[in-house]
Amino acid sequence: MKQTHSKIRPLFISLSVFLFLSLTGCWSSHEIEEQSLGIGLAFDKGKQSSIEKKLNEQGGGYSKRNLITATYQFITPLVASSTTKQAGPQQKSYVNVSESGDSFHQMVREISLRSEQPVTAHHMKVVVISESLAKSYKLEQLLDQNFRESEVRPSCLVLISKGRASKTLETKKAGEIPAFRLAGIVENAYRSTRILPPMSHIKVESKIKSGSSFLLQNVLSANGQVKFAGAAVIDGKTHKMTGFLNEEELEGVTWITGKGKGGVVKSFYKETGQLIVYEIETMKSRIIPRVKGNNISFDVNIESVGRLSENWVLSGNTFKNEFLKKAEKSSEKEVKRLVRNVLEKMQKEYKVDVAGFGNRLRIENPKVWKKVKKDWDQTFSETPINYNVKLTINDYGTSGGSKK
Amino acid sequence: MKEWISKIGKKGKVTNNDKLEATTSQDTTGQFTDNFILNLEMVKQEIGHNWDVHFREFNLGRTGIRSIIIFVDGLSDKDLIDKHIMPSLMVDFSAEYKQDLPYLKGGISKEFIKNEVLSISEVEEVRSIKEFTSKVLTGSTALIMDGSLNALILGTTKLKTRTIEEPVSEALVRGPRVGFTESLSDNTSFLRGSGEIENLSLVKFQVGKRSKKDLVVAYIKDIVDPELVQEVENRIKKIDMDSVPESGYVEQLIEDNYLSPFPQVQNTERPDRVIAALMEGRVAILLDGTPFALIAPVTLSMMLQSPEDYYERWIPGTFIRMLRYLAAILALFTPSLYIAFISFHSGMIPTKLAISIIGTRSGVPFPALIEALFMEISIEILREAGLRLPKPIGPAMGIVGGLIIGEAAVQAGIVSPVLVIVVALTAISSFSIPQYSAGFTIRILRFPAMLCAATFGLYGVILFFLFMASHLVKLKSFGVPFLSPAVPYRLSEWKDLMVRMPLMMMKRRPKMMHTKNPIRKG
Repeated sequence: MKQTHSKIRPLFISLSVFLFLSLTGCWSSHEIEEQSLGIGLAFDKGKQSSIEKKLNEQGGGYSKRNLITATYQFITPLVASSTTKQAGPQQKSYVNVSESGDSFHQMVREISLRSEQPVTAHHMKVVVISESLAKSYKLEQLLDQNFRESEVRPSCLVLISKGRASKTLETKKAGEIPAFRLAGIVENAYRSTRILPPMSHIKVESKIKSGSSFLLQNVLSANGQVKFAGAAVIDGKTHKMTGFLNEEELEGVTWITGKGKGGVVKSFYKETGQLIVYEIETMKSRIIPRVKGNNISFDVNIESVGRLSENWVLSGNTFKNEFLKKAEKSSEKEVKRLVRNVLEKMQKEYKVDVAGFGNRLRIENPKVWKKVKKDWDQTFSETPINYNVKLTINDYGTSGGSKK
Repeated sequence: MKEWISKIGKKGKVTNNDKLEATTSQDTTGQFTDNFILNLEMVKQEIGHNWDVHFREFNLGRTGIRSIIIFVDGLSDKDLIDKHIMPSLMVDFSAEYKQDLPYLKGGISKEFIKNEVLSISEVEEVRSIKEFTSKVLTGSTALIMDGSLNALILGTTKLKTRTIEEPVSEALVRGPRVGFTESLSDNTSFLRGSGEIENLSLVKFQVGKRSKKDLVVAYIKDIVDPELVQEVENRIKKIDMDSVPESGYVEQLIEDNYLSPFPQVQNTERPDRVIAALMEGRVAILLDGTPFALIAPVTLSMMLQSPEDYYERWIPGTFIRMLRYLAAILALFTPSLYIAFISFHSGMIPTKLAISIIGTRSGVPFPALIEALFMEISIEILREAGLRLPKPIGPAMGIVGGLIIGEAAVQAGIVSPVLVIVVALTAISSFSIPQYSAGFTIRILRFPAMLCAATFGLYGVILFFLFMASHLVKLKSFGVPFLSPAVPYRLSEWKDLMVRMPLMMMKRRPKMMHTKNPIRKG
């Protein structure tokens, strides 16, 4: 009988361990429905909201300077339950709360004084920074808290807004969630060359840390609607925004980098001045640095295959190769115009390299790069750049030309 | 393992000696004599009070020699007694014999009866009353004759067999529709009868101190590792129990680790499964009175395999087997992952799903653990209730209970609809495990997994998994590592672990069985 006791002892020990485990309770457990999901964030120049003002009048507030207004977009359990009900959303399916202050982290924590469900940032989709803020503060300071904290995912997008950033997180459509809308538009890059490849926190951080200039997608808002329009240029030295590229200039950048996945090129047929639209199927670009002594130059070879998607030229017979060749030429000319346009802007006006020329040089000629990288943007602005564009139309859709 | 054997050994010895002494002292008094009246009195004393024991007195072969047959109503074959025993004993004996009678002094030669009168196959002589009663009470007919020192035991046991049915607990779509029955001789005949298996050995043992039962250890002599047979036989000999009603008793008394939640002996109703195991060099144990045979040693992978894997072509076989592995993992971990994600890692759920989960859970008053426990326990109760109910009501009960409780609980806001999906998925997955006993293991382990998840989140689930894995790595079944061939790692045998490779590729028997004859084919 003694032996059975000694066998049973481990059973009791393990049982008591289990019981003690359950006594410890649930460490760091936060039920999902006791939290608000933060999904979007907008940074603006400080401007207190009317609610904040009223609260402050009654004696709220702490010692701070109202330099920045952060607008948090989140989904509270209440909102979530009303949107998931069968009847469909009747009211807004998100909540925006603005807080003014000087420390981002302090502002987030203020929200837990105002709402029973604190905000978590795991699901943060976009951070929109207003132009005025991006021009006066360094980007690494604005995003420092996000970089530092593990809650905000490195995949969270960064956008710039020319107007008030908080307006881009508003909508008038019932059921629409503005932060998802912004994150969703980025996915449409296969439809337009005017959308930059997504710039996530991790990419922004790497650009900042390496000191190179880069672009951030710009978003405009009006009346609860938004539009992606052009890009903001962030200077690699100051880490501040220096200017804008408009939509066409952004297209030019996309052609130079070859990162576009789709989109159209509109051009006019030389002989008749009528419209021809070329749709991109694939796009490829090679930037080749040429180093001769101290002289650096670049060749850009752009190649693209696509289809003729719209043709207003009445005399144009798509069954005939000559016409297709001419159509290709006409589109190539347009692409060249776009590229020339943006190169001029980059080299002459902003004097920054945001199309990755420096990166190619670093890869192919590291020794030269070491010498020039310190003042690369300046060097770049004086570098001659040659470009070649070759478009191929391999398809003209299900309609040909009239038989003559 | 060694510890175990020595312990049982010690215990067994002591009690054996005690009982032996007791029986021998009785034996000296309980012997038949040549006095018919005394013998009869002794028998009546021993078993005469039983209403089902019948005594039939008559005169032998019209000679005036008194004799009696004793049998148990129902156990003995009355037909046989009436048609072959009684007539031959009661007709006139041949004239020559009658002439010799005077020399026998009113008694009768049992040799004569045995050799010339009784026309049945099994005849045995017994001397001790102990043996006599045990024979009679198991269905033999006893014949006591005046002047004869020994009683004759005639084999008239009527085997109560039922028709062979498809195994209930292990149904297959493709494969033999034959299941073991409660009769040991039927079961051994299934093994013998399914193709002439060379060197199939069926070794008989008796288990149970008070109610003795036959137990057969089956193996194929030129395949099996002799040490394994030795070990199994040793453990069976050490069984020291009053009675062994079912093979589950044997299983529990010979297994390696009784604290483990994992069964270390497999039970099956399928003769084909037993034969497949024998061919791999395993040992089967069949017990009289139960349709469940035991197979030892087992590995974890055997719990998730079904004979059908081999009967179907290898592609569907592999697919179904992988599916079963997935189902086992789902059945074990889905509720705990649900708890971990809901209570700890809301950031790991895709955003849109997170929103809809928040939406459906916002009215639920309980934390995820209570919610999940509530549903899991009620589904287990439903399952148990479904088993106990009469057959026609059982399935209806499952549907009614499952659907209505689930739906009502959601309506009442006690649980979230997502949890109902989780629980349903868990239940369905656990049904797909081909072994009922293995399914039990998973159903039970689910609960500690849920507690771990509720305490530490995903970290707890991983801890639980590590805990379980370390136990499994240590566990052995009759000297064979429970996780083999995964641990210890034998890549060549992974052909039959998670996938089921074509039969022509499985040329060797499992190495872990240390078979005498390792080649299966070619």
